Amino acid sequence: MSDSYMVEPDVGFIKDVMKLGGQDLKKCYQCATCSVACPISPDNKPFPRKEMIATSWGLKDRLVGNADIWLCHNCGDCTTRCPRGAKPGDVLAAVRAYAVTEYAVPKALGKMVNDPSKLPILLAIPAIIILVVGMLTNLVGLGWLSFAPTGEEIWQNNYINNYLVDIIMIPTFTFAIVVFALGLKRFVADIHANALAEGKTDKQKIEPVAFLQALVRVVPTIAKHNRFSECGENKERATAHMMVLYGFIGLFIVTACFFVAEWVFHIEGPYSQINPIKWLGNIGGIALIIGGGLMIAKRMGQKEQTSSYKDWYLLGLVMLLGGTGLLTEMLRLGHQYGLMALVYFLHLIFVWSLFAYTPFSKLAHLVYRTVAMTYQEYSGRK
Amino acid sequence: MDKKYGVYICEGCGIGESLDVAAIKGVAEEEGYSCKTHPNLCGAAGVDFLKKEIEGGVNTLVLAACSRRVNFDTFRFPGCIVDRVNLREGVAWSHPRDKFPPLTEEQKADADYYDRVQMMAEDYLRMGMARVQKVTLPEPFKLEKISEKILVIGGGITGMSAALDAAKAGYAVTIVEKEAQLGGAALNWRSQLPIADPYDQLIPPVVDAKIRAVQTNPKITVKTNTVVARLAGQPGEFTVTFKKPGEKIEFDVPYPLPPEMRVDESGKELDAETLNKKYMEYNEGRVDILTLDPNGELFGAVILAAGWRPDTIEGEAYAHLGVGQSPDVVTNAQFEAIAKKGKIVRPSDGKPAKSVVFIQSPGKDADDSDFDFAGAVTSLVSLKQAKYVREDYEDGKAYVFYQHMRTPGLNENFYKSLQQDPGIFMTKGSVLNVSKNGGGLIVEASDTLLGKQLKVKADMVVLAAGMVPATKDDPVVNMAYRQGPAFRDIALFNGYCDSNFICFPYETQRTGIYAAGAVRRSMTTEEAMEDATGAALKAIQCISSTNRGVAVHPRSGDMTFPDFFFQRCTQCKRCTQECPFGALDDDAKGTPKPNPTRCRRCGTCMGACPERIIGFADYNIDSIGSMVKAIKVPSSDDYSEPPLRILGLVCENDALPALDIAALNKLSYSADVRLIPVRCLGSVNVIWIKDALSQGMDGVFLLGCKHGDDYQCHFVKGSELAGIRMKKIGEALASLALEVERVGQFEIAIDEYDKIPKIVDDFVASIEALGPNPFKGF
Repeated sequence: MSDSYMVEPDVGFIKDVMKLGGQDLKKCYQCATCSVACPISPDNKPFPRKEMIATSWGLKDRLVGNADIWLCHNCGDCTTRCPRGAKPGDVLAAVRAYAVTEYAVPKALGKMVNDPSKLPILLAIPAIIILVVGMLTNLVGLGWLSFAPTGEEIWQNNYINNYLVDIIMIPTFTFAIVVFALGLKRFVADIHANALAEGKTDKQKIEPVAFLQALVRVVPTIAKHNRFSECGENKERATAHMMVLYGFIGLFIVTACFFVAEWVFHIEGPYSQINPIKWLGNIGGIALIIGGGLMIAKRMGQKEQTSSYKDWYLLGLVMLLGGTGLLTEMLRLGHQYGLMALVYFLHLIFVWSLFAYTPFSKLAHLVYRTVAMTYQEYSGRK
Repeated sequence: MDKKYGVYICEGCGIGESLDVAAIKGVAEEEGYSCKTHPNLCGAAGVDFLKKEIEGGVNTLVLAACSRRVNFDTFRFPGCIVDRVNLREGVAWSHPRDKFPPLTEEQKADADYYDRVQMMAEDYLRMGMARVQKVTLPEPFKLEKISEKILVIGGGITGMSAALDAAKAGYAVTIVEKEAQLGGAALNWRSQLPIADPYDQLIPPVVDAKIRAVQTNPKITVKTNTVVARLAGQPGEFTVTFKKPGEKIEFDVPYPLPPEMRVDESGKELDAETLNKKYMEYNEGRVDILTLDPNGELFGAVILAAGWRPDTIEGEAYAHLGVGQSPDVVTNAQFEAIAKKGKIVRPSDGKPAKSVVFIQSPGKDADDSDFDFAGAVTSLVSLKQAKYVREDYEDGKAYVFYQHMRTPGLNENFYKSLQQDPGIFMTKGSVLNVSKNGGGLIVEASDTLLGKQLKVKADMVVLAAGMVPATKDDPVVNMAYRQGPAFRDIALFNGYCDSNFICFPYETQRTGIYAAGAVRRSMTTEEAMEDATGAALKAIQCISSTNRGVAVHPRSGDMTFPDFFFQRCTQCKRCTQECPFGALDDDAKGTPKPNPTRCRRCGTCMGACPERIIGFADYNIDSIGSMVKAIKVPSSDDYSEPPLRILGLVCENDALPALDIAALNKLSYSADVRLIPVRCLGSVNVIWIKDALSQGMDGVFLLGCKHGDDYQCHFVKGSELAGIRMKKIGEALASLALEVERVGQFEIAIDEYDKIPKIVDDFVASIEALGPNPFKGF
């Protein structure tokens, strides 16, 4: 007789997933329409049917470290076809949100990021950091924070010095990387153990080189959004998602270029509007706004899909990042310097939040899904 | 009644185009009947034409038109005998001219050619004309005194609901309840399943309100601590003797002799006198069924709502479930009793039971059906009791392991609402075993929806025991019927009291006794209440039909009843024994005593009687026999190659409709068969078959309902009995040097019309292979 698995349902986990947008999970009656409907689910041990029963039985251990929850692209084909309105797509999204908070340390921060009542505190943190560090630089005579700068050509650097921004953002970015690294270490071990236990792979160990090769093979799939396009419902979401993704990538390149210009070549801004890097930045910002706007419009018009705080948090952040960035530029060009400074300050708060809270928020999918897809490629799961 | 005959041939619906109507008319006139044709008999003009004819004195009409299954109301003329000769479905439609071409002018001139279809039409007309000579207008059988009171056996939810419904319709009702108080099983419940919209929450038991309503209803008499000792007589005049449970009285119902006591050492049946003596000894202290209790109470009809008892789950077969090993493994009924007392605690140590596993199937074999006598109710009860665990403990967990989760109708809402509870866990799965784990238990299951063999820790395990019908343990009704005090053959239905669960709910095998509630099948309170209404209506239908002297069911409104010519009775008892409804009680000598209001008019007695002394006004040995004799059987004297003649006796319940549907679909079969509808294959008397064969017909087949465990026979046993009789006739045929294969019996369901051509044509082909009847032409 094979080994039996001792089932000890975690009712707290069920309640948490319900709160994170999976409130209908218990409606599932295991017909497996979802697994059949899903265009990207593998043939061997397909999701999300098994995830639905595991969730309704509160089997946290079988979900958090399960790569399959990340293979789902939340297109909603399953939710549309679910005869009971259990919304498997949203349940998986909620389980992912739960998994993110499980892997990111400190856990308390993860809880805060997913709790709307804690949002003011989370936003106050970067505001205070910028002001306090700025004041400190003023105290030691660097004077990186100015409330009333004067001069011919005023830009945001005159109010909040780029060096001040960088000495705050670099450690924050590093913090995020470290949090991800720590989380991923456990994540990869867990998904491999889960795949072995559920018979989803025949690979006994993870070979780092082969794993990286798998990553290289997966990148074009992600870049082209191939998985998204397989979906029946919400096909158009691929475009919006691509705009936001490439908007972020563009802006990341721009930031990196200016960082190098500042610290290596000591070229000071503001840069000419015809500078191609500047173009890239503007296009990136606009892509972010349009992509984010499309996604918001779609969520507002979508009755089937549940939109919970974790979704609005991310979309809000995307819109505010793009919005405050572009507005700062427009206000500067329009010589509204006082207002510009205020908007720029807000922009910095959002940028900081983006860096610091990404490992705890829905945006963490950028790392976990990539790794899960890589693992799928590596393990040969079909 | 002086019969004045009139034959009318309709030319509509393709009859006129297909057949030589003038020639058919000639057949009638040849036999001395006045015959008229009409282009469309069922139209207003046609009906007026017929009414004028009736005004003109015609009272016996032979209508050669469509099947008797259509336009029956159009052609119903009070005070007249009407025979319907089926030229449309039976001839024209089922034998279209593209498949059965008419004779060419050349062929007509040659006397050796014949038109099979025309011959068929002419035979059918002859048969119709022969029949009307032998039938009379029926007169209803009326009881001298009739009781309109309804007896309800069982004072639970079903019985009380039935009583209230019948009382509401104006009938006086008596409820007998064996316990000291009304209420039945529902008295033991903490909560019950929902009975009204939105069907998603448990509700307090409705039984208290029912008890109050019954007690305050002036039309309802309640007898608690009472059971039925015997129920004698027939619908409309049932004489009922009551007694205290356990009492022994002279009007306790006698039991028939068991088969082994009915024979002598050599296995031969004892003579009537000895049998009666043995029977009286066997039932010492009890008077015979034919003696009516002078103090008995009269009732018109009975509703049997005797309910159920929870099944016990015991023995080695359930040892793997911890039965007999841990007091914390209980049945759902025992769990309910614990829940009724207060918070759910373990029987072993009185500690809170916060983790309870509900097992729906014993997990024994590959099939893994639910526990015996289980059904949708056991599924629903497991949900109800899972909710108790959640009501009692904030951190309680309830697991349901099922193979079948049945929540029919709007009970689905209840299932859905329970599903939403984060502390209730359900999965399909086979339970492997229940083992002890310290003070608690561990339940192990395989093939679950969770994809693995799994274990859960439990404080208690609850087994979904089914609902055993009261009729399984005891006759309950105690009918003073010669066939015995209990319902026959209910073992087919696991002891549930039902005669034909497919088509006729409430109906038992005894007319005037209607089953409702858990005695019929396992059901919820809500279903039982609805069932009670149905049974109450059936009881009322029975009383009012009896009042008018007509049959109740399934030949509702039939005014005929079997008539016995007792002078010629040989007391063979076959009619008494074969009646599917126990309508006949024979006396000490074996002479049958008919109880016409128990009768369903199937004619099984008529088919059984070797002396042929039983018949109905419009359906008897002579009427059908004359139809058989009216069929012309051509021989080699008539044609060089005479056609075969094959008789088909077809059951009018399933086979005849199937034939009509086949005709409607233009399916055809051999034109050499002649079909005669019969009330039931059970009513087929072998003399008709002998008549047919002795007049030179080449074969006879019977077409009737399916029999066996899943029988579809409207009269339960008809087609089965016919099968037995056909086997016996084979020996008689062999003695006449006729092949037994000349007689066949086939089964058909009403929806199998497409199979008819093959059944008929295959039989015709088999007769063709045997060659013509050697008696032909004698």
